[in-house]
Amino acid sequence: MKDFIIEMKNIKKSFGKVQALRGVDFHVSRNEIVGLLGDNGAGKSTLIKILVGYYQPDDGEVYFEGRKVNFKSPWQSRQLGIETVYQDLALVNLMPLWRNFFLGREIIRKIGPFSWIERRKMKRIVIDAMNDVGISVRNPDETVAFMSGGERQAVAIARAIYFGAKLLILDEPTAALSVGETKKVLQHIEEAKKRGISVIFITHNIYHVYEVADRLVLLERGEKVGDYLKKDVTPQYIMDTIAAAAGVR
Amino acid sequence: MFFLRIKEFGALVGMAVFFVTFSFLSNRFATVDNLMNTLTMAAELGIIAIGVCMLMISGEFDLSVGAVFAVAPMVFAIMVNHKISEYLALLVCLILAAAIGLINGVVTLKTGIPSFITTLGMMMFWRGILLAVTGGFPIILSRRMRMLDYFGGRVTGGLRYSAIWFIIITLLFWIVLERTRYGNWTFATGGNLGAAKALGIPSERVKIINFMICSTLAGFAGLTTFARFKIVDPTLGQELELEAIASAVMGGTLLTGGYGSVVGALIGAAMISMVRNGLVLAGAPAYWYRAFIGIILIVAAVINARIRKKVAG
Repeated sequence: MKDFIIEMKNIKKSFGKVQALRGVDFHVSRNEIVGLLGDNGAGKSTLIKILVGYYQPDDGEVYFEGRKVNFKSPWQSRQLGIETVYQDLALVNLMPLWRNFFLGREIIRKIGPFSWIERRKMKRIVIDAMNDVGISVRNPDETVAFMSGGERQAVAIARAIYFGAKLLILDEPTAALSVGETKKVLQHIEEAKKRGISVIFITHNIYHVYEVADRLVLLERGEKVGDYLKKDVTPQYIMDTIAAAAGVR
Repeated sequence: MFFLRIKEFGALVGMAVFFVTFSFLSNRFATVDNLMNTLTMAAELGIIAIGVCMLMISGEFDLSVGAVFAVAPMVFAIMVNHKISEYLALLVCLILAAAIGLINGVVTLKTGIPSFITTLGMMMFWRGILLAVTGGFPIILSRRMRMLDYFGGRVTGGLRYSAIWFIIITLLFWIVLERTRYGNWTFATGGNLGAAKALGIPSERVKIINFMICSTLAGFAGLTTFARFKIVDPTLGQELELEAIASAVMGGTLLTGGYGSVVGALIGAAMISMVRNGLVLAGAPAYWYRAFIGIILIVAAVINARIRKKVAG
């Protein structure tokens, strides 16, 4: 019980007549990688958006490190160390790498009433932080538009590690990646775990998450239809369970 | 190539080309006095362009700057002509300009209609008020005052104080954009609004502040013009909003936000002023000026887009 970094109890959420979540229990232990699986529209992103405070639940409770929380905005959850990496909302393409890395958490130096951003220091840190996840940065002034999908995920993960996130949520991190890049991103995720960060990996592709996950949680039509330790199940079994819950034979 | 990463590179090359061309066409062009004069002429447009540029980088538009450019000196002239202190009048008209920006911003963000529409409506509203209040007649300043000399008076030769203000304001906002956290947030807000919000940037506040900066600078620019002529016409500043956008775009600022430079906007405004001045000195009829600017704008936008694709994606 105490080892849960996040625990959600009986979460319900409706949008108009659509019941997106019908009483879902969900938890992540410390230093655990959880694969959150389900077909499109299963309620995965709604659950996560409630977790980070983007939406408020109609019913149910959220506990972070054992304390009850009621996040009103993603900003609040980010302050406590919950870092979310959305597919398209992680980086600003036209901005240099170092500005992206520190966006919203710039290092500043105060001189009288003015505060300046510490450009040199930030550029240096970016190079080191990216090195830590195994990517050598040529020039931190380069915009992130030229980075590959895998490198972009790496920036977001390196950012979470550097800023001391406790829980990292990755929304379909491998959806648009090549096989080689997917493998690299999985390595970054394991690297994050080594540093004591818990990870929620949202995907609808079991094969991407199976390699790294400790536990797999299955959502379908707003309900939890499965919660397995990875060692107890095979990918095929998971696939069949999702398909059965979705009514496909 | 590192020099392509300088956002103002295209505009600088463009200005160099015109400088050389006009120097050949007229031997009166490349004189200190004429260049000072050109810079002064650029200042009134350029001060607006700085604000427009800031706002465009954060992803919004302001079409009401031309109207504000006329409203601010109009309010100033009416107040001063009614024996009110010029310092109080200055304060009131700058606050009014800022308030117009605030309304533009709040209406745009709270209702979700595009700023193009909000500020178009605002422009029409104030143009109407201007005509209604003045009955279409210009207002002439009824007394002399030292204060106005520091806005548009002569420094030396063709150089006026407005040019000095122009350079100070450009440097000030260059620092804000490139060296402060607020600048970082402005780029992020215009570059990827969703990401900025997801990372906790107060994007709405950033936009509203930029609306206010933009409008205040337009009012200030109007005062520098008024300081030069001591007369304000209700049609003053018409189409200036479009020239200000043109200056920013020539300087490399992206219409859709997230990329740009106020130094570029300065160069853009200087380029427009240089072409106007150079064509007259070269003996071309003044009518050609607009046609020429139109072509330059399109060529500049194409070149800037090419360069940007290479260095920034």
